[in-house]
Amino acid sequence: MTRNISVDDETARRFLEEMLRIDVFEEETKDRFGEGEIPGFVHLSGGHEGSHVGMGAAMRDEDWLAVGGARLIGQYIAKGVPLPEIMAELYGRVDGSNKGHGGQMHVSDVDRKLYGHAATIGSGQNPAVGLALAEEMKGTDNVAVTTIGDGGTSRGSFHTALVFAAYWDLPVVFVIENNQWAISTPSESLPPDSLSDYGIPHNMPTESIDGSDVEEVYRAVSDAIERARNGEGPSVIESRVVRLVPHFEGDKETYRDEEEYERLKEEKDPIENYRERLIENDVVTEAEIEDMIANIETEVEEAVEFARESPEPEPEAAYEHVYRMPLYGQGE
Amino acid sequence: MAREITYVEAIAEALDEELSRDDDVILFGEDVEEFGGNFGETEGLYEKHGRDRVRNTPLSEIGIAGMALGAAVGGVRPVAELQFADFAATAGDEVFNQIPKQPYVSGGQIEAPLTIFAPSGAGIGAGAQHSQSVHSWLGNVPGWVVVTATTPYDAKGLFKSAIRDDNPVFFLPHKMLSETKGEVPDEEYTLPLGEAAVEEEGEDVTVVATQLMFHRAKEAAAEVDADVEIVNPRTFAPLDTETIAESVRKTGRLVVVDETVERYGTQGHIANEIVENDFFSLDAPPKTIGVKDVPIPLSPPLEQEVLPSADRIADGIESLF
Ligand SMILES: Cc1ncc(C[n+]2csc(CCOP(=O)(O)OP(=O)(O)O)c2C)c(N)n1
Repeated sequence: MTRNISVDDETARRFLEEMLRIDVFEEETKDRFGEGEIPGFVHLSGGHEGSHVGMGAAMRDEDWLAVGGARLIGQYIAKGVPLPEIMAELYGRVDGSNKGHGGQMHVSDVDRKLYGHAATIGSGQNPAVGLALAEEMKGTDNVAVTTIGDGGTSRGSFHTALVFAAYWDLPVVFVIENNQWAISTPSESLPPDSLSDYGIPHNMPTESIDGSDVEEVYRAVSDAIERARNGEGPSVIESRVVRLVPHFEGDKETYRDEEEYERLKEEKDPIENYRERLIENDVVTEAEIEDMIANIETEVEEAVEFARESPEPEPEAAYEHVYRMPLYGQGE
Repeated sequence: MAREITYVEAIAEALDEELSRDDDVILFGEDVEEFGGNFGETEGLYEKHGRDRVRNTPLSEIGIAGMALGAAVGGVRPVAELQFADFAATAGDEVFNQIPKQPYVSGGQIEAPLTIFAPSGAGIGAGAQHSQSVHSWLGNVPGWVVVTATTPYDAKGLFKSAIRDDNPVFFLPHKMLSETKGEVPDEEYTLPLGEAAVEEEGEDVTVVATQLMFHRAKEAAAEVDADVEIVNPRTFAPLDTETIAESVRKTGRLVVVDETVERYGTQGHIANEIVENDFFSLDAPPKTIGVKDVPIPLSPPLEQEVLPSADRIADGIESLF
């Protein structure tokens, strides 16, 4: 049998482990949300894990990630935010990454160069261009990677970001995670053959890839990042994935064709496929995977414990962080 | 020492000095390079500071505002121009949802030391989409520091502070004042944000006014038979209520005149602060005067009709006695 793995064994095992980490963390999130422990909405990443992990692995720690789309938690994990800080933020607790001011849609970690998410979808791409401009002005070769869903590409702000990035040839990588649905609106009805075609009028390199294959995403995003680092400007990548979960927890998905959905689950689950591939290629054994999962489960349990034990913010904390005081020159 | 310069020159000086002082300051917007801005506010800056620091953008306020946010988070100090304050709305999501909220939702991790500046106000026959005063829109979203300028002295000192402040600041010069002259010190200075200034002292009535309305309030004060104290808030958000309250404690009467529309304008908020907290210092109900609740019309007589005139302000002052 010919080996169909494009990375070394250690990297391959890390990819699988990272996807499993997202999966286990999110399953637990779903349960905790179901039990009423997590407030607000919960959007899960099922089917996007390969896309998130491949992208995260292609980035250096110093590169910015501006998260878009609605599959967020997996991206926070892929950027390396510690699980306890994410979970505590989902719980709205003081030890969360954002001290409970942000929640599921706004996890940010400036020290780890996670800009966070613009919850009005499609508004995160122009800030990503600004982040790239700042890096360029500072003379670094860091880049900004920004994600968006198929739905978000219909907003003018997304197209404006392409214009601005191209205008100054800035080091930005636009990743469109096309999971075929914007809640219940199918991306099939959008005119371009591939959503990465939106980069064509701006003379950007574009590529449409199977985003459920972690290695494929790793390769394509690495190539785009390398171009950006070398001063060759922005790129657009369409990462075609399948949303194997409801839009948010509670969505009955009445708009989906059940047979088709079942078929996609069989064919396009990035974790199942990669797991089989690594086993077939003797990169890992079933037993090693079981160990991985057991370890991750412990990590996730600890994250939940951490979140539960973290105090609720004092109500007065609601007034913090609106302004940095004193204002300039005040009290002089 | 001081010399007389115009309001627009004061703005250009503030930009020039801050670009020279701090390498992290970057200026961008539509037509800020050779063209020099619609009112001459960026004239000469591109030639002096170069293309990395002074940059024309494509025509999109979403791009300008959104990019300013990212650049600020990334560690530079963007000063971004919108050609007219009305265009705060064309960058609606950036201006209302993103910029003022990202520092907050990040739990204070994100610092966004950006300044957006945009000429506001009516009076030059620019029509309904180029004449609005937007500080009540902006003041309504906690997170923005909202600053206006009344004189060249204000314009320079407040703009420099806006650029140095670590919060997102929306700085609103008034286009009708562009060519007005005033004394500006030769030496470097800044003015504090978040502090109102008592511009004229008086005993009988407090008039709160900025920008063009300040100048009209001065005319009105000369017409009426009362000793008028004029307070210029300078910063609308956060608002220095204390200086206004102190003045009303002295005079017992309050007129608030501003170029925002009367319906849900700044006037109501300022008057309410005094009514709620200092009711017993009032000898008469406060009077609020603003733009009539219509879009700004074009024809000069129509435009002047809806703006508070010196006469309307004078009548408002007299109605309290
Ligand atoms: C500007 C804006 N419009 C609408 C919404 C409501 N909304 C949240 S997620 C979503 C669908 C997003 O679809 P897509 O961009 O494809 O991302 P996906 O959910 O598929 O990851 C919608 C309509 C929003 N958050 N922001």
